Amino acid sequence: MRNDFQAAIFLVYKYITRGNKGTLILTIIVTTLAFVQINFISGVLSGAIELAHQQAKDNYVSNIVIQPGKDEDYIKQVPLLKNKITSMPGIISCTSRYTIGSNISYDPDKNGKDVKSISWPIKSINPKEEMRVTNIQNYMVAGKYLEESDRDQIMMGKEISGGFGASLEVQSLKGASVGDEVTVYYRNGVTRDYTIKGIYSVDFPLSDMAVFVTEKEMESVLGVHNRASEILVKTNQVHTEQYYIQALRENGLDKEDIRPWTDFFGLMAGLTQTFGIIKRIVFAIGLVVAGVTIFIVIYIATIGRRKQIGIMKAIGMKERIIIVSYIFLAFFYAILGISLGIVLLEVLIKPYFISHPLNMPVGKVSLMIIQGELIASIVCMFVVSIIAGFVPSWRVTKENIIKAIWG
Amino acid sequence: MINVKDLVKIYEGQVTVHALKGVSFKIEQGEFVTIMGPSGSGKSTLLHQLALLDKPTSGQILLDDIDVSKLSEHEKTAYRLKNLGYVFQEYALIPELNAIENTYLPLMLLGARRKEYTRASTELLEKVGLGNRVHHLISQLSGGEQQRVAIARALVNKSKTLFADEPCANLDTENKGIVLRLLRQLCNELGQTILMVTHELEQREFSDRVIWLRDGIIEKEEIISKEVRDSALREEYQVI
Ligand SMILES: Nc1ncnc2c1ncn2[C@@H]1O[C@H](COP(=O)(O)OP(=O)(O)O)[C@@H](O)[C@H]1O
Ligand SMILES: [Mg+2]
Repeated sequence: MRNDFQAAIFLVYKYITRGNKGTLILTIIVTTLAFVQINFISGVLSGAIELAHQQAKDNYVSNIVIQPGKDEDYIKQVPLLKNKITSMPGIISCTSRYTIGSNISYDPDKNGKDVKSISWPIKSINPKEEMRVTNIQNYMVAGKYLEESDRDQIMMGKEISGGFGASLEVQSLKGASVGDEVTVYYRNGVTRDYTIKGIYSVDFPLSDMAVFVTEKEMESVLGVHNRASEILVKTNQVHTEQYYIQALRENGLDKEDIRPWTDFFGLMAGLTQTFGIIKRIVFAIGLVVAGVTIFIVIYIATIGRRKQIGIMKAIGMKERIIIVSYIFLAFFYAILGISLGIVLLEVLIKPYFISHPLNMPVGKVSLMIIQGELIASIVCMFVVSIIAGFVPSWRVTKENIIKAIWG
Repeated sequence: MINVKDLVKIYEGQVTVHALKGVSFKIEQGEFVTIMGPSGSGKSTLLHQLALLDKPTSGQILLDDIDVSKLSEHEKTAYRLKNLGYVFQEYALIPELNAIENTYLPLMLLGARRKEYTRASTELLEKVGLGNRVHHLISQLSGGEQQRVAIARALVNKSKTLFADEPCANLDTENKGIVLRLLRQLCNELGQTILMVTHELEQREFSDRVIWLRDGIIEKEEIISKEVRDSALREEYQVI
């Protein structure tokens, strides 16, 4: 048995070192590319999904959203509540917002003709607090972020203002810019004029479709104080969202409606789910294509050695040794192809995408290789190479010796 | 010792070919027998059956009193490795192995130690006149040299029986002489049983006995006299 193993190793070593270098290089290139291809496409899709999730947490609703309980318009005693929340372990910070429906109208020529108007909720922020929860301040494409004392200023995402490469122009104010005036008709009957102070773009439609005024301004519009329509909570993400939600509930927030960010993902959730499915399909197809390619290359190489296999059998070599030697050979191709593929992905492709990310509707996407998938693809490559080494050599060794040599 | 009784081989296919139609003969240990006959008379077919490379349709083959039809495929493989040597018409070496590696492969498979199989195969390569070609790749050897490596490989396991199917067919006159004298010498010195197929008349003069085949049956047998053999072995004898 050990002897057979040694003989197989001896043969493989000679095939590799003395065999046709062209075939060797070609097979390894094919294996490498097949491996890279699987991980590349699923890496891009994983990158897009991951980025969408990251965007939602960083620039949209943070990790957890607290909303008023049933039959309540607002969360009450908000400053107290916020103190309580931030003092909980694992909570980094939180911020409160008001939300109210409105109609925003924009008259670029100030003559009553060609007025652009959209229906959209307006939210309030407390700038200092907000900056500790979301990152929108880092994505200003025009003007400035709101300040606590601002009263007649408004800030909006590019999907509302229009321009800056916004993707949903139909619903926007079609090119309102910083310094322009808009009139807001609040749902409660109040009407106010605002100057656009800043426009931001995080390249994530859900975030870029928002309009903000300051908390001070909003409280005067609504005539309320120390209340909130929602509190966004940023966690240290050590545990799942459910864990922190449970902690919040245990800490006295038992009437409020508390939800994880995923509940606010809406359309995006469907999109990332679809991406996930596409990814799995592409991954599976990639594996099959890679498998078939490697199989064909090794199959042809083995069938090309039919005569040689016949001769080895004729001199009394056990079939087992022949088959094992071809499996080892295929294994060798797989090991080299996978290693080169990993080097290519990590050293060339990944750094390239980090410096040249793809512009996708969820932001700038770079490659994300998920370890589990990488391992799955490696395991699959090995399984395929065992089959590719086994099947043709097994078929040839089962053949009549005379036929293998002369047939 | 080879004992063949009423050997029949029929190739089934689109046309059924009766390649061997009942062949019987006996070959003693240490005998050098030539099988002659026109092309298509069944010479190769006969050798394939005897060397356990193929299965006869009917009849019996006894190799040293073992009925080989009773052996399983694995046992046949092991038997070939241990007891038989086969020289093919076209050298049939493994191109990725050099001369000595091709030669020692059977010994290696038998589990010999490295030192042992290196020594044995070096000796054999020297014996077949390739002492200075030991580490040459197959592609660097001439046809005659390759055939001699093949013979060395067939002998390295100290096989009792050597089969050679037209071993000189692809060789020039000089190399034919070298190979045939080598076979004769092996038979004399090592007591090897040799069964050689050829269709060239002069080549039979190196052997002890000739079995003539025609259309799958034995046409006649011929004994080669010592005088003919000795004259064939003289250096100046040219094998055409
Ligand atoms: N594998 C095969 N299938 C079918 N017919 C075969 C096969 N091998 C040989 N034959 C036929 O059997 C006959 C004997 O062939 P062979 O033993 O090769 O003759 P020889 O070696 O004497 O030239 C020929 O008619 C040949 O065509
Ligand atoms: Mg023949």
